[in-house]
Amino acid sequence: MPGRLSNLSLSHLAFLFMVAVTAVYLNWSAISASTKLYNLIVVVPVGITLIALIAGVIIKALRADTEVLQQDPAEQRAKLHTTLVDLLLLGLFAALCFGLTTVGFDIATFLFVWIGIVIGGERRWWLPPLYAALFTLFLVEGFGSLFPFPMPLLVL
Amino acid sequence: MIDSFAFSQAFSLLFSDFGPWLYVIPGLIIGLVFGAVPGLQISMAMAVFLPVTWSMDFLQAMLFLTSIFTGGAYGGGVTAILMNIPGSSSSVATAFDGHPMAHQGKHNEALGIGLGASVFGAFFGYTLLLLLIQPLAFVVLKLGPLEMVMVVIWGLTLIATLHGGAVANGLIAGLFGLILSQIGMSTTGTMRTTIGNPYLIDGISVVPAMIGIFAASELLRLRGSDYLVESSENRHISFRKLITGFVMAFKRPGALIRGSIIGALIGAVPGVGSSVANLVAYSEVRRSSKHPERFGKGEPDGLVAAESANSSSEGGSMTALLALGIPGGAATAVLLAAFSFHNLVGGPAFIRDQRDIVYSIIVGNMGQVLLLAIIGLLSLRVLGMIVRVPLSYLVPSVLALCAWGGFGITGTIAGPVTVMAFAGIGWLMRHHNYPVAATVIGLLLGRMTEGEIVRTLQISGGNPLSYLVERPIAIGLAILMISAVALPPIMRARAKRQKQQRAHASDK
Repeated sequence: MPGRLSNLSLSHLAFLFMVAVTAVYLNWSAISASTKLYNLIVVVPVGITLIALIAGVIIKALRADTEVLQQDPAEQRAKLHTTLVDLLLLGLFAALCFGLTTVGFDIATFLFVWIGIVIGGERRWWLPPLYAALFTLFLVEGFGSLFPFPMPLLVL
Repeated sequence: MIDSFAFSQAFSLLFSDFGPWLYVIPGLIIGLVFGAVPGLQISMAMAVFLPVTWSMDFLQAMLFLTSIFTGGAYGGGVTAILMNIPGSSSSVATAFDGHPMAHQGKHNEALGIGLGASVFGAFFGYTLLLLLIQPLAFVVLKLGPLEMVMVVIWGLTLIATLHGGAVANGLIAGLFGLILSQIGMSTTGTMRTTIGNPYLIDGISVVPAMIGIFAASELLRLRGSDYLVESSENRHISFRKLITGFVMAFKRPGALIRGSIIGALIGAVPGVGSSVANLVAYSEVRRSSKHPERFGKGEPDGLVAAESANSSSEGGSMTALLALGIPGGAATAVLLAAFSFHNLVGGPAFIRDQRDIVYSIIVGNMGQVLLLAIIGLLSLRVLGMIVRVPLSYLVPSVLALCAWGGFGITGTIAGPVTVMAFAGIGWLMRHHNYPVAATVIGLLLGRMTEGEIVRTLQISGGNPLSYLVERPIAIGLAILMISAVALPPIMRARAKRQKQQRAHASDK
């Protein structure tokens, strides 16, 4: 089945790989910094257990009989569409997080909320930018005024 | 136990005029709002409003700041129930059963139960403080790192019970959180990796990580629906149902009292506090329940335990502050700053010389708790309207709020970027049935666990077992923890076996 290793999907495998790499890298870094017990008391046992658990999950998945469930093509397409929209929104969110201090809190928030509402399915063209503008104004004047730190703004 | 003369003086201080109560209602509202917005912390609210107390007298200042504390403890639960996004780390366990209830259209009841449990828990915590402030202070002084290790490990055992269908998933998620907590400088000052990022020298900032991993994964899951509550009949805010829920909390005395006791005791341990208390209370009520399988699916007992524990821990945390002058956490540190604003120092001398003030603070807080019931019920009607907002508007708005919250905590780009990184991790985890709550618990307790284990090893000269023998409280905690973890499954297995044997015998 494309995109699957036995009954373990590639994205699941990617997650397990990320956890394993994190565990190995943090252990390597901690051991390189100091081999004293005080430094390794949590990181080493946790790292070893994590690797063992991940190996267990992968072996279990490889040994299990692969049940190839025939999915309805329409259902598959819907699932793929949901995942793509999720990723699009996550990408937009990443742009917002980086944009806050580079573009300015006001413009980054306004654009993110506007586009986010349109992605969410709002069809009226005038409401999303109006709501986004009012929401941004509320955040800047209300939430932002409570911050004890300077907040870069482009327009407001 | 109670000095009746000082107690009567406290009453005259509190009730001879309206002055001490003037700022309580604004304080409760500020706390509710700060607690309910992810990223705005209760301690931040107290710090922001600390300068305002300059013009107040000491008792007014204390009641104002503690009312923010009291309101915030409940406010964090509102978003946990309605949106599965805990407003603060003390409301993590509130989301476990509160949100499934809301998803079933029981958001009114869930908010009412949460408020009822919070009111009872906070009142219980302060009553315990009133009666036991001196003996509790003595016990707190006897607690060392080994005892804290026991408490923290007790909190970590919850990881094993949180799993998306497979125990291995829960353990991987929890241990992933634990290992991520090891980034940056160790508790002994050894510099481990910062992944080349100077913002990570002190490790991953837990609150932005919690906001990202909970909020984004949940909001993206919700995105497919039109509203938080699908059925339009269930979407209205019913004052009658809020009251029903409020009363329902008191019909569950087992979970309520157990949660309140655990919260008050754990809250009294400096440096541990409500973020551990709500987890331990939830796991204990779940373990001792006759129906543990219902937990995580909208069991009111779980919500009662979590909310009563995080609220009663407030009274507990005041023990160390008033009796020893030690702040147990960020919020009590701000209270200590208010002490110094008024040239006062907490501790044994404060209790001895200013007992009437101590009693006034405690009784004033009990009064605040009763006011919270009224303010909470009135404000929940407004806060609960969130279920009527279309998700196409709510999802991007709350995501933007989360990014802002991340910045509000760190004051740098590191906050929003942490929120973003954990949003991706949370999305991936939820996609493959890994419980994100377990990762948050690991992240929350990881550094604390390491610090207390290292201190125990240092104090014991590398021989913790012989040190354990000299620590009766630690032995007691260890026995309690082991029996709490091991006994319920053994008893359930035995009851199941007996039932099977009886069924087998009756077949013959």
